[in-house]
Amino acid sequence: MSNIDLKTPPKREDRLNACIAHGSTICEMAAGKGKKSCLQNDGDRSFTQGSICLLLPALAMLNSLPDNVVLMHGAIGCGSCTHSQNANVRFGTTQRQGKARDAVWISTAMNESDVISGGEDKLELAIIEADRRYKPFSITVVSGCVPGIIGDDIDGVVLKVQPEVNARLLPIHCEGFKTKIWATAYDAVYHGIGRTLLREGEQPATADGLAPFKGLERLPNTVNLMNVSSMGQIDEQELERLLKLLGLEVNIFPVFAHPESMVKATQAALSISTCPTHDDYFLSYLEERFGVPSLIQHMPIGIENTGLWLRDVAAHFGLEEKAEQIIAQEEKELSEALSGFRPLFAGKKVFISAGEFRALATARLLEELGFQMSGIRSFHHDKFAEVEYEKLAKSSTEDYVIDIADVQPFEEANLLRRLKPDLFLGHANGNGTAAKLGIPTHAIYHTALSYIGYKGAFELARRLQRQLRNPSYNRKLAENVRLPYRDEWYGDSPFTYITKGATA
Amino acid sequence: MSDNFIERARYTCAQGGAAATVTALPGGIPILHSPSGCAGNFAWSQNGGSALQVGGYCGTLAMPSSNIQERDVVFGGDSRLREQIENTLKVMDGSIYAVLTSCVTEIIGDDIKSIVADFKNQGVPIIGAETGGFKGNSYRGYDLVLQSLFRDFLERGVVKKKKQVNLWGIIPSYDPFWRGNLEEVRRLLELLGLEVNSFFLTDDTIEGIRQAGSASLNIVISHTYGLEAAALFEEIHGTPFISLPLPIGASATESFLRAVSKAAKVSSARTETVISTEKKRYFRYLEPLTDCITDLDLQRYAVVVGDANNATAVTKFLADDLGWLPELAVCTDVLQEHEQERLQEQLKHLESRYPVSLVFETDSSQVRGHLQKKWPVTGSGKYQNVFGPAFVIGSSLDRELALEIGAPHLSVSFPVANRAILDRGYTGFRGGLRLIEDLLGAVVAGR
Repeated sequence: MSNIDLKTPPKREDRLNACIAHGSTICEMAAGKGKKSCLQNDGDRSFTQGSICLLLPALAMLNSLPDNVVLMHGAIGCGSCTHSQNANVRFGTTQRQGKARDAVWISTAMNESDVISGGEDKLELAIIEADRRYKPFSITVVSGCVPGIIGDDIDGVVLKVQPEVNARLLPIHCEGFKTKIWATAYDAVYHGIGRTLLREGEQPATADGLAPFKGLERLPNTVNLMNVSSMGQIDEQELERLLKLLGLEVNIFPVFAHPESMVKATQAALSISTCPTHDDYFLSYLEERFGVPSLIQHMPIGIENTGLWLRDVAAHFGLEEKAEQIIAQEEKELSEALSGFRPLFAGKKVFISAGEFRALATARLLEELGFQMSGIRSFHHDKFAEVEYEKLAKSSTEDYVIDIADVQPFEEANLLRRLKPDLFLGHANGNGTAAKLGIPTHAIYHTALSYIGYKGAFELARRLQRQLRNPSYNRKLAENVRLPYRDEWYGDSPFTYITKGATA
Repeated sequence: MSDNFIERARYTCAQGGAAATVTALPGGIPILHSPSGCAGNFAWSQNGGSALQVGGYCGTLAMPSSNIQERDVVFGGDSRLREQIENTLKVMDGSIYAVLTSCVTEIIGDDIKSIVADFKNQGVPIIGAETGGFKGNSYRGYDLVLQSLFRDFLERGVVKKKKQVNLWGIIPSYDPFWRGNLEEVRRLLELLGLEVNSFFLTDDTIEGIRQAGSASLNIVISHTYGLEAAALFEEIHGTPFISLPLPIGASATESFLRAVSKAAKVSSARTETVISTEKKRYFRYLEPLTDCITDLDLQRYAVVVGDANNATAVTKFLADDLGWLPELAVCTDVLQEHEQERLQEQLKHLESRYPVSLVFETDSSQVRGHLQKKWPVTGSGKYQNVFGPAFVIGSSLDRELALEIGAPHLSVSFPVANRAILDRGYTGFRGGLRLIEDLLGAVVAGR
């Protein structure tokens, strides 16, 4: 039985040995299997700050789907993060459809009596009413912690109600307390898509059992480009541009893709990941059940990484020579365009904080721009990133700190006070600590901005130049506000509260 | 309104409201007893809804949180919470710590009361509130934190001071205008000669809050929020309270000041002097607007959509001060019958006697239907009595309605995604002027 046959996907701490609590250095992380790079037992923290759970990244994907209603089954607060994600939805639909559209999200708003007597009946009625009111193509039924604890069976409710409604119902399990690795979100969403929209058995059997979805043909020249919710259309266009230079047709999934079009993912000759943290679960499924091979290494952020990514794709189609021509031409143009920025960046120290793959790929890019790494915080660690730590260990002349932490700004504040970097790049809602210490800051992703491919390298350089030329806002802030930590904390090791797991 | 779901809820849960409330206290450190995601959910909620205000001294992802996992759900989270509080005291520099429970920790039955009491007995300035998300929305969480503050933090038996009052009724961050709204009311109360503790402003101190029991009167500028806390305050500390609607603009503020003066026993001479001085300034500023108001025909029909504080208060201001035609007011909170009646009552006694329909509807997409019921377009062909020229005042979720009816729009109630608000407020005389600036500014934006 494969994972997709289970009601819920396994959590990533089990499936991938992913971890979130570890203090280390780049050399140790890259030291090879059997050492720190292959953590079998995660650490714990005896002091923690809040972070996110799998519900947030899951909703970021689901809210983008056109013609879909996100039905949250949980207490009224779960999913209120959508107020921020809705800005992405409005921006994304403006770009793609020419008109801003608000996401449609609703909640069963479970109350005290639902906790006692169960929320299944309410959920059933909510599905039926949502189907009639909004007439959507699909309803994603997302469960939060409360149904997870009291034992509401959302799959059972979906199965029961499906014949009564027109919308396709996708159960998505996001019980936050069940996994500490929020990247499990991607598996949860893809699990719902796979089990509901791309069900096994709906394609005719062939000799090898591998065929596109029923009624569709294999398209030998088409690739699936797997996007992520932190990537804007501007970045998709850059990758599409490069793939088209190779002569390929591109289908983009799953963010902002119509749920009805998901079946087209089974037609492609190849699926290409843009973030290995994001896609392995779904790409395995497409490969196993529909015979679509996939590439899942390298994030196309940075000059070298973009080249590696493109070469992999080209090799699959026997287009190596063409790829080399494209890369040579792109790198030549980019190098000239970047030359003006390099003097300002040379030798400046930078600290990076984000999801593991994004952080590591961006670190490579910044090195290519002339910066020197002073530390990286990855939000989790799993085996997919080992090769990235190796790349960075090779390219750096000095060892530097790696903090595996699901945010934990107190560790970051301690580290930044010691390291005093010249620049900080961080995740959304994660730049405040550095800013209050007076360090110039820049967001490591934003859907309105370009980060990816050759164009992204140039645009990021342009923006970093802007931040470095006038960091007065952060400087003044640091002179006048303080972080909420005791002075004594800065004298302790940043990894004081990591227990069990090994620390550097 | 649906019986089965709430569309795009304009608030988060009790714990989220509670966390924002604690963050707004001087030196306030929330300690969430939660799975890891609650803090992030609140950070993103504020990022999208609180007019670009995210956190504060210790908010959002800086908030200590026990980040309980499945094993704690099985074995209980008590020991994890004790460890978390002990270490929070070592790392975080606060003047008050507040343990806030979540859905998960309440369902598994963790005993936070005795844990918090143990730390309190060691002299730690700590309170706890049971703010599981299923208990209600962010406004409920605000009330629960105030209750806990009044019960467990305020010194008991302090001597009453005649001129001392406490002020609350506006939730931090989930009303993006909380600072400005509280500041203007505080300023006016001080003009009356009162000493004001308002808990959440930079002028407030933790010592002042500890002594809040010395107040002779509590003033709640809401008919809905913070009232259970007010009743509890009276029960414990013997201070009576007065609950008044959010005073926006000259007319509402005049009545507000008279009502407060009566309850706080301020001389009517002093009150009338304050009112006349403030009103003189207010109308001196309005005076030069008069030509354009008429020449550009700036009177509008209006739909007002907002929380229980704003829906009626803004509507009253439009009808009684600006002379607009607010046909429909929509309150997006889920309220009990007696709470709904109090709000209906406010609009029944408008000075202008303008007939406003107040409906209770949580879902943005249904407002258009209420408007069509209230204002069915009559006539046909070129002689149609359409609803216009109109204005939509609400949250950023009401932009769709504004587009549909071709009206300008202003976000004044959560979520406010499309404005940056720092200390702007609409209360009092000054706030009324701000609201006029913002409304008319939107009408003439293309001029």
